[in-house]
Amino acid sequence: MASIETHHSPTAAARIAAAAAAVEQVHYQRFTAFQRWVHFLIMCSFTVLVFTGMPLRYSDQGWAKWEMSHLGGIQTAGIVHRFAAMIMVSCVFCMLGFFARILVKTRGRYWGPGTMVPTRKDWHDLVAMVRWFLGKGRPVLEHDRYSYWEKFEFWAASGGVTIMCVTGAMLWYPQLTTRFLPGIFLNFALVNHSGGALLAMGFVFVFWHVFHAHLRPEVFPMDKTMFDGGLPVDEYARERPLEYERRVREGSLHEVLVPVHSPSRQRVENVIWWAITIVALLVWAAFTLFVIWVASFWLGSL
Amino acid sequence: MSRHAFLGTLLVTAVLAVVAFAAPAGAIEFSLAHGANGRCFVCHAKPDIGTVVVEGERKSLVVTADDTHDSIHSRLDCTACHVGLQPREHTAEETLGWYQQAKLLGCSDCHADQFTMYSKSFHGDLVLGENDKKAPSCADCHGSHGIISPGAPGFRETVLPMCSRCHGERSETYLDTYHGKAFRMGATTRAVCTDCHGYHEILPQADPASMVSDRNVARTCGKCHKHASGKFASFLVHVDPTSPKSSMSVWVMELNHKLLIVGLFLVGGLHCFLYFYRGLKEGLYSRGKH
Repeated sequence: MASIETHHSPTAAARIAAAAAAVEQVHYQRFTAFQRWVHFLIMCSFTVLVFTGMPLRYSDQGWAKWEMSHLGGIQTAGIVHRFAAMIMVSCVFCMLGFFARILVKTRGRYWGPGTMVPTRKDWHDLVAMVRWFLGKGRPVLEHDRYSYWEKFEFWAASGGVTIMCVTGAMLWYPQLTTRFLPGIFLNFALVNHSGGALLAMGFVFVFWHVFHAHLRPEVFPMDKTMFDGGLPVDEYARERPLEYERRVREGSLHEVLVPVHSPSRQRVENVIWWAITIVALLVWAAFTLFVIWVASFWLGSL
Repeated sequence: MSRHAFLGTLLVTAVLAVVAFAAPAGAIEFSLAHGANGRCFVCHAKPDIGTVVVEGERKSLVVTADDTHDSIHSRLDCTACHVGLQPREHTAEETLGWYQQAKLLGCSDCHADQFTMYSKSFHGDLVLGENDKKAPSCADCHGSHGIISPGAPGFRETVLPMCSRCHGERSETYLDTYHGKAFRMGATTRAVCTDCHGYHEILPQADPASMVSDRNVARTCGKCHKHASGKFASFLVHVDPTSPKSSMSVWVMELNHKLLIVGLFLVGGLHCFLYFYRGLKEGLYSRGKH
């Protein structure tokens, strides 16, 4: 019936054409400006922390000495490391505030379909994906707001950043720390900060984040939603069909639709996306080599 | 003025002039150190002068003015340290005797305070009391012909290699700490062996007078770390995280991290690789591209 109306009623056709034109003028904004800025600051501070900290872990290596001397010496690198750490800690507090707000708004019931909390569905998705990896069934390409790999990354990174912040603060203020704890806790802090750094570096740059945000088939070469938040509505409906359908059903679709950015702004955004994409792929390649080097280093010492 | 008086004045002036010009020339030749040492270099600068065996180690007898040029002792006579040495051909026994003396007792003439401290120290007791040939005497740490001032740039960098000749394992664990890492990266004002253990007066940790004894260690840390407490000083400086004998809890934590890293990288790597491989095979990379 609807199709007949479309063909025969000029007013209905005009309405649909107007709606189609309207759809082209809006796009899906996956992340708010607040979330995108927090992500951007975490990205920058994390990279700086890795580059100023990793030479210390491998201080006996020539490249580490070379890098440290080009960073202006260990004193300067230490100051930059602590400065970046303060940005990271600020982001952590921003996220804590963000989740506190969600918990207050939802009255502690943060496990609906769009939740960050792992659900039974995530487990089923993971099992289906592993089956697909092994050549059985089909991949799970339809997700709600957060997929299982995004949730895993979020909780792993949250745990990691907590450990890194706590141990980093202990090493920054050793006298204060040992007012309450025995000195061996500084040894624990050192081991955990150093090991946690390697873990986080590999997790983010090689084995998880850069892969899922850049190299995953659905988004290659880059998932742009974290940098301007924009995704054409049809792509949104295909990538996150469960969230899309849920929002249509609940009538909350307008919450995530914003006017399309002006062409000049899109041009600037394109430049930024490609710059970030190229840097991310270079970082991925470089750190993949680095992890291979670390692995051969370990295997050699066995 | 009579003719004799004139000639006499001329003669006296001439004699005075000769003495005045000749005296400084003579002083340069006979009293400056390099002039005196020059007589040693006549033989010792020759590359073919030969070698001498000291404690099983063959050492060259070649010493040139270049070796001593940058030394803080460059203006001293060779005989200031090689006491009693005569500028003639010396026998091997004589040379050996002088060598031992120069390494230790030759220094005490000028550096009596340091020598007294050293003789009471662990190292000094080994050398002087127990005649231990391996334990370090003055020249082992300070060097000999090229000796530089302990305050001179470059001296602190020599401390770790020097100590590690005997304390190799301790040097390894030191290099695992922030002090060691920073030092190795060029921040040579950071603590190195001697800053915590002392130098001339080094004593074993068990000795209450030691800088790192339970009684003194917090004060030693406090030299750099204001308000360092006993708890602060209980930080394990020389711990090997790869050995359970060193510290069981640190070893467990390190092992835990290694397993976590290997496990997560394997799982993550497999997830990425299989996602990529299957995606490529099933054409997902070209799906829905505009």
